[in-house]
Amino acid sequence: MKNRSNMFTSWRLLKYLFKKPLTIPYIDIFTKKNADYLNKNSIIKIKSRVVNSEPREGADNIRGFHTNDWEECIGCSTCMDICPTEAITMAERLDVEDKEGALQQRPIIDYGRCCFCALCVDTCTTGSLKMSKEYIYSHSDPDQFLLMPEDLWQGQVVKDGWVKDEVSDLLDLKRVHMEHEDPEERKSSFIEIVRGYSKEYAKQEAARCVECGVCTGSCPVQMHIPAYIKAIWEDDIEGALREVYETNPLPGVCGRVCTHNCETACSIAVRGEAIAIRWLKRYIIDSAPDDIYKKALMEPVSEVIDASVAVIGAGPAGLAAAYYLRVMGYKVDVYEEKTLTGGVMRYGIPAYRLPDSAIDKDIDFIESIGVKMITNTRVGKDISMDKLEKEYDAVFLGTGFFKPRPLNILGADHKDVIGAMEFLPKVRDFERGVLELEDIDVARSIVVIGGGDVAFDVARSATRLQMLKYGESHVKLTSLEDQNVLPCSEDELIEGAEEGIEFFCGNGPQEVLLKKGKVTGLRLWKCLCIFDETGKFNPEFDKECEQIIDGEQVYIAIGQSPDYDYIPASLNEKLSFKWGKIEASELGQVKGVDWLFVGGDILRGPDLISGVADGHRSAQGIDDYLYNKAKKKEVSKTLQEMRLAAKQGTPHLTYRQKGKKL
Amino acid sequence: MTNSMNNVDYISNLVESNFKLIEKEIVNKNQVSYIIDKESVHSLLTFLKTNGWIQLSYLSAIDWPKENKFELVYIVFNWEMPVYIQVRAMLDRNNPVMPSILPIFPGCKYYERETHEFFGIKFPGNPDHEKQLILEEWDEIPPLRKDFDPRAYSDKKFAKREYTEDFVNLNGQESKQIIRKQRKTKIMNVRKGGKK
Amino acid sequence: MKEMKLFLGPQHPGMHGNAAVHMYVEGDMIVKAFLLPGMLHRGFEKGMERHTWVNNIGLIPRVCVVEPDINEMAFAQGVEMLLGMEIPERAHYIRMIILELARLSTHLMAYGGLGSPTGLYTLMYHAHTDRNTILNIFEKITGHRVYHMYIVPGGVRKDLPVGIEKDIHAFLDDLENRYEEYRDLGINNPTILARITNTIELPAEVVWELGVTGIGMRSAVNKEYDLRKVIPYARYDKIDFTVPIADYSDAKSRVDCKLQEVVQSINIIRQCLVKMPEGEVKLPLGRGQSMRWTVPKGHVYSVVESSRGEFGYYMVSDGGLNPYRVGVRGASYPQGLLGIEKYLPGTRIDDAALWVDTMGVCSPEIDR
Repeated sequence: MKNRSNMFTSWRLLKYLFKKPLTIPYIDIFTKKNADYLNKNSIIKIKSRVVNSEPREGADNIRGFHTNDWEECIGCSTCMDICPTEAITMAERLDVEDKEGALQQRPIIDYGRCCFCALCVDTCTTGSLKMSKEYIYSHSDPDQFLLMPEDLWQGQVVKDGWVKDEVSDLLDLKRVHMEHEDPEERKSSFIEIVRGYSKEYAKQEAARCVECGVCTGSCPVQMHIPAYIKAIWEDDIEGALREVYETNPLPGVCGRVCTHNCETACSIAVRGEAIAIRWLKRYIIDSAPDDIYKKALMEPVSEVIDASVAVIGAGPAGLAAAYYLRVMGYKVDVYEEKTLTGGVMRYGIPAYRLPDSAIDKDIDFIESIGVKMITNTRVGKDISMDKLEKEYDAVFLGTGFFKPRPLNILGADHKDVIGAMEFLPKVRDFERGVLELEDIDVARSIVVIGGGDVAFDVARSATRLQMLKYGESHVKLTSLEDQNVLPCSEDELIEGAEEGIEFFCGNGPQEVLLKKGKVTGLRLWKCLCIFDETGKFNPEFDKECEQIIDGEQVYIAIGQSPDYDYIPASLNEKLSFKWGKIEASELGQVKGVDWLFVGGDILRGPDLISGVADGHRSAQGIDDYLYNKAKKKEVSKTLQEMRLAAKQGTPHLTYRQKGKKL
Repeated sequence: MTNSMNNVDYISNLVESNFKLIEKEIVNKNQVSYIIDKESVHSLLTFLKTNGWIQLSYLSAIDWPKENKFELVYIVFNWEMPVYIQVRAMLDRNNPVMPSILPIFPGCKYYERETHEFFGIKFPGNPDHEKQLILEEWDEIPPLRKDFDPRAYSDKKFAKREYTEDFVNLNGQESKQIIRKQRKTKIMNVRKGGKK
Repeated sequence: MKEMKLFLGPQHPGMHGNAAVHMYVEGDMIVKAFLLPGMLHRGFEKGMERHTWVNNIGLIPRVCVVEPDINEMAFAQGVEMLLGMEIPERAHYIRMIILELARLSTHLMAYGGLGSPTGLYTLMYHAHTDRNTILNIFEKITGHRVYHMYIVPGGVRKDLPVGIEKDIHAFLDDLENRYEEYRDLGINNPTILARITNTIELPAEVVWELGVTGIGMRSAVNKEYDLRKVIPYARYDKIDFTVPIADYSDAKSRVDCKLQEVVQSINIIRQCLVKMPEGEVKLPLGRGQSMRWTVPKGHVYSVVESSRGEFGYYMVSDGGLNPYRVGVRGASYPQGLLGIEKYLPGTRIDDAALWVDTMGVCSPEIDR
């Protein structure tokens, strides 16, 4: 290279003598605290520079110290899991309100480890964890670098620095698409609507779970939800099946029609769509081959503790009680009035939501471990309660609410005013081929009263029957509640609307209109409010706002009531009832009648999975009551362990059941 | 530098006609990967060097304890025909020895030394390969082997810092966190085949 | 004369990072020399095997302190190669802006570093002033000044903040205005010129023996051997730029190339800002939450042209949640270890620091 330096070069450089020097504007970076510390401790007193200093403000998305809004934070510990330096731990805070969908813990951050990568912020399920613009902190005590982020940083309101946006979000907030049958096609048959996940889709959906376990507390049976979702994600169906059966003997059914409180509580649902927990459970059962049951679940239950239990009613509560009692080693007989076991599953919920095959799979397994089902036997008629009391050591009642609750309005006693629980069993029997289409009397145009899931079952079943019979459907649904606060599940509302149900929500029925002995319609008044100031059911109507909708039949689905006819009077005297339910201890034992246990709708309600929970609790109650009295056989260690495991798995009451505010 | 795919084809033809490859993978238009038996590595590298792959970019190893193998990787590059070639060979994990490629690529000297240090593979022919390079006074198995557990090592070697923690507030109740933790352990057992 | 043992570093203004050059000297001539690495070994390769694909980003930038972005880029690119995914167009341009800003800051720092072995500290202060401005820009874009954790597998973490173009342009204009001043201060300065001309030459044939890449190689072999040209990653094929070369590699021509690259980087950033399309900047690696992302099986070698040469990540995935093995090829490996051992003997003590500076020896990436 040519050498460019010569004697003049250096002279050229003289011009820089007169240039403004290049400097970084120095703004003091001391906070008040640091300045005080420095003033006190520095050897050279540089007071004039330090006292009035203001720290330089960080950039807009600087990753400074964390802030955490405790109101929003649900203690899901996802930040702890993702932290690459293990700087975050969860501190238990039992002073935080205990509520559904949250854990009583909050993150603490060790700033000696934290690398300020903001992954915790990006993955936060609620968006409560943020980073502030504060980046200066000093302390002479190393222990003081373990900090618990709160809404304020060091007691002061600070500006937000790095916050999560759509791009940096590390969670998958969108549910994996589930195939549904097309509304136009499904309307004319009772084919199951939800098709179920394929393996690939199930794994994708399972991959969305952050394993926080917030959901477990809201599940009435406290299923091991994160564990079985993880098993699906790792493609371990056998392990998933074990997890499921630990707490729920009716997973195939629950995978379809559970009220899925877990999905409401799901931490992903705070900002996105909840994990499809229910459908994933269904995937486990649907994809588990029959032989895997034997391999994964069956352990010999042939040895029996010398005590026997009668279960009355083969519904969810009864079957669950039977299953767990059997697992604990008792001899269990289940008495069912109808031809098929399953109760409300078999005779209430229509087949497009819950096909018989799913029920069979669950109940067959319960039968296969040695529970004896005695069908077509009504207690009180075919066999007396006294006899049961004598023959068995304990009796469990799970007879449910099977009688329609009447509506006391004018014209409601007409034969074309039909209760939901009269109608739905017929529909199921029709699907099974027991009844012909002609046997069911469905008019061309009908009105359904009620806004719960049962009302929708009626409306949508009727739609299907009308389509089959007449090729067209005219179904109207009216309820006291407004459409946005209907007690039914959201799916029902959407799918019902897709199937052409017309809604007249927010109206109270006043009179069934009759003409020449035939139903012609229903008079509605606008409903102003449902409950009065004391919270009692006492609807108020606006007479001015009247509406008349026509229909040739009126179906009433405003709730069901129990049928206690089978209980003999001598026993009835000892029971106390409240709102139609039998009062009992938490484990279902009836006060004063030690050998009698109750569960399901007649104890607590309101849904299928709560029934299963009651069954499980009663099984523990019965075991507590019988085990020490029973002349037990020498049982193997395995059975002993199984008995304890089943008892340990007994669910607690959920927030809802405890009546806590949500 | 145009017709990049042709470069890959060119080298593939060249190599495949002269060597028996165990496995071949085209990563992209600038990268191919060959698995070849241990004995042929030297001749293949020499062959590649004479054909223009004069730069040794990287040399290291991968531990496959399940297969009981070490996998050696040599990456060479040709600036005129920009294709990275990964030459991979499997070594026996119990007796990992590979003659040094020092005569072919003098630049391998420190790579081999490091590979020895982190995996314990011996490179006869490289005079310094057994000298310590990065890890001073290392007294454990070579750390990049999969059976080395850094957590256990640091727990053994260094004291854990205990913080005085005053953030927990139990309000005089029993800890629910511990219950949850116990429950979780129990649940994991169930999955592996516990009761029922 | 008696042979003496001398340590250059780990605490020495001429030594970059915590490593030492162990020299045996006679008078002021070096007889034997080798690098003593290991003072900065943090077990990154093992650490990466123990973190998931996404939370590795907290670890990776720490491999090289001055220029962390190349690590992020090489890692992200490797994961994308394993996945076979194509990232959004805008992300490519943002990545290039970040990489070139990082190159600017490293070159400036290395140029300023020239001040310490030559005794002209003004150079260092000037360079650090400009680096400070770059760090301010980084702070605005990425949220941090040094460890950016911004280039992630799938794109970049956040879109550019509104109005950042203004800051970047202002800085580039300012730097361009003072470019001549920089030259005058450094390599046009007769004192320095005399010091760096014809010192520690690197002949072309030696380059291949060592495996040196980057400016050290380009200045010796006189060819545009720059990975941005040879195998264009990101969108370097859509950008006009030249690669400065020289026909003779001594300390001066290497510094000269470095300064010319500064001009090129300024050009590239300006073009990127113009050509950058609107749109998405990040794609997820798959369905599900980030801690459950998996990457298919494979062996890939992902390379990036750093300020010091070819910087590569050799990545192996077994299809699991974590990388199975990540091998880091530090760009300064050849010149730092073998180069010092082979080519320092015969030079003077004070030239050792010049080698370290002009060849770009970065001890953290040797140690990892």
